Amino acid sequence: MASLTQFKDRNLIAVIGDEDSITGLLLAGVGQVNAQQQKNFLIVDGKTQISAIEAAFQEFTERKDIAIVLINQHIAEKIRPTVDRYRQAFPAVLEIPSKEHPYDPSKDSILKRVQKLVGD
Amino acid sequence: MEALFFNVDTGFLEGVLRGYKSGILSQSHYANLTQCETLEDFRTQLSATDYGNFLANEPLPLSTSTIADKATQVLVNQFNYLRSNAVEPLSKFLDYITYAYMIDNVVLLITGTLHERDTHELLERCHPLGVFDSMPALCVATNVEELYQSVLVETPLAPYFRGCLSPHDLDDLNIEIVRNTVYKAYLEDFYQYCATLGSPTSDVMHSILSFEADRRAINITINSFNTELTKEQRARLFPSIGRLFPAGNNMLARADDIDQVRAACDMVLEYRSFLDSSLSGQSDDSLGVAAQLEDKFFRAEIHLNKLSFLQQFHYGVFYGYVKLKEQEIRNLIWIAECIAQDAKDRMHDFIPIF
Amino acid sequence: MSGTGARENVFATRMALTNTKLRLKGAVTGHSLLAKKRDALTTRFRAILRKVDEAKRKMGKVMQLASFSLAEVTYATGDISYLVQEQAKIASFRVKAKQENVSGVVLPAFEVERVAGTDFNLTGLGRGGQQVLRAKEVYAKALETLVEIASLQTAFTILDEVIRATNRRVNAIEHVIIPRLDNTIRYIMSELDEMDREEFFRLKKIQGKKKRENAQKQITEAEADTSEAIDEVIDETPANLLESKDEDVIF
Repeated sequence: MASLTQFKDRNLIAVIGDEDSITGLLLAGVGQVNAQQQKNFLIVDGKTQISAIEAAFQEFTERKDIAIVLINQHIAEKIRPTVDRYRQAFPAVLEIPSKEHPYDPSKDSILKRVQKLVGD
Repeated sequence: MEALFFNVDTGFLEGVLRGYKSGILSQSHYANLTQCETLEDFRTQLSATDYGNFLANEPLPLSTSTIADKATQVLVNQFNYLRSNAVEPLSKFLDYITYAYMIDNVVLLITGTLHERDTHELLERCHPLGVFDSMPALCVATNVEELYQSVLVETPLAPYFRGCLSPHDLDDLNIEIVRNTVYKAYLEDFYQYCATLGSPTSDVMHSILSFEADRRAINITINSFNTELTKEQRARLFPSIGRLFPAGNNMLARADDIDQVRAACDMVLEYRSFLDSSLSGQSDDSLGVAAQLEDKFFRAEIHLNKLSFLQQFHYGVFYGYVKLKEQEIRNLIWIAECIAQDAKDRMHDFIPIF
Repeated sequence: MSGTGARENVFATRMALTNTKLRLKGAVTGHSLLAKKRDALTTRFRAILRKVDEAKRKMGKVMQLASFSLAEVTYATGDISYLVQEQAKIASFRVKAKQENVSGVVLPAFEVERVAGTDFNLTGLGRGGQQVLRAKEVYAKALETLVEIASLQTAFTILDEVIRATNRRVNAIEHVIIPRLDNTIRYIMSELDEMDREEFFRLKKIQGKKKRENAQKQITEAEADTSEAIDEVIDETPANLLESKDEDVIF
């Protein structure tokens, strides 16, 4: 079960998203670049490889200082199996809408589970 | 005398330009555009205007950034046509217009270099009007020192950089301070240059540039509240031209809150309304006032630029046209954003030109 | 019946019976406690479910508002994304985890922790700074909503897991442990009953035998009484009790 040590040093919010979402969230102040030039955000554009997204997703979910991973829904869609497979509580993975892709609750892997549970 | 020989060199281009100007979207176009439900409708509506088929080959779904890019490209094409047909001194004047964009581009490259990024990627992000032939050469620079040297050698911006910044400064100062310092130098230089062109170019341009200078001064003041920018630094960013100069600038340099900015603006009749009427509006928090301020500046700028078309035989129209077109592109993007994001209620917040 | 169903491997003794009864009682108490816990968790879970659902839907609106404010920035300042990306250094918007206790389950809740950051203070200095400022605020608000959702979602995930575990335990107790203990008790009881009955039967048997012997004795006594009534009184019982072995008595 989640013990205190597991989440007390987690205080960052990581983002995988398109440029606009990232810019906005960075403006709000989530950006962190550590000493090894590791960023806690990944900008995904048309040229970004799916493997790069996967890698970033893995990295963010494995890092010990990240509490929440935000990911644009249309990007989550590209790596859907990985996202659906992810069941850990920490860090919490949250799918967010992007400017050009309005939010579709039916695709959200958490909401899917919610619907299933509420439904039965 | 100016007018007598104006048409020998510039008559053709002025004619072309006024033709372009009549292609600027009018109220009725905007009315149609704001009715659009989707960006595809938007494109169809635009194809009936002077923009023609500029979006015809774009794959669906359209994004607002493609629209922005393509619309800017239309402007750039027009501008390049003018530029390539221009002779001295108009060509020089047109070059001056591009310097403003060049500053932004160079600043962008500096940012990239400072963070040791591959600056070649940045070339795509540069404003096409500010692209100069030797720009890729700047990308070769790997550190700020080299970049500074190549800016001096390769770009027309050399005097601005040399005059107010050392390579050392690029490293230490906030990039925004660099940008505004250079911009200030540019405005002052442009102002001087316009003076050498004589009336009526100088009359028209001086009023526009003065406004631009004042706008920057006011903006810098308001935006530097609660930041680490000291008052001395702030004062150094104010252009030494404009209608607020020098008394108003001095007041702005000392201002601590929006009221003091208002007091400074009171000295110029036209600026008085910027901060005043907004206060009597709805919100009295300074954020609201300042946000509307930007809108009012845009309106005033358009007004001044439109005025330039009322006179003939001068170069101000070229500047005015570029600025009006820029505003038009902003409007288009705004409307497109509103359509894309389904924010119909904010759709009419753009600033129509004619 | 005692023969059907799983039971524990015990000797059917009263001691084992008492023990098993105690264990059954414990299991029943445990079951009701766990069931209560499950109910409490489920109530909480349902509430969170509703909130997650609501919040996720609300998020759509909030984010739209936020990206619109960014459109305003673009309108006033132009493209600032690269500058912003490069100037991001230290996160000024962080979260802090605190915990909340629901029926013994530690649920983490994220709290927004903002420190005054200076990363983008001067962005849009010459133009559009106010829009940038506003976008910052709007995005920060949106982020707060997101953080809230993240807390709910984490709670959701953890609760989901805990409820599953609790359910498993409740079901295990209800369907495996309690029946088994029940069976064991019934088995012990029946064994003991059986033993009781045997014992009873045996006693009866002894009693019958005793009766028969007594009757026999009385007859012989009566016979002796008539023949040698005087002798009988002298050498009767003590010798008889010690010497004659009773065949029915095992121990």
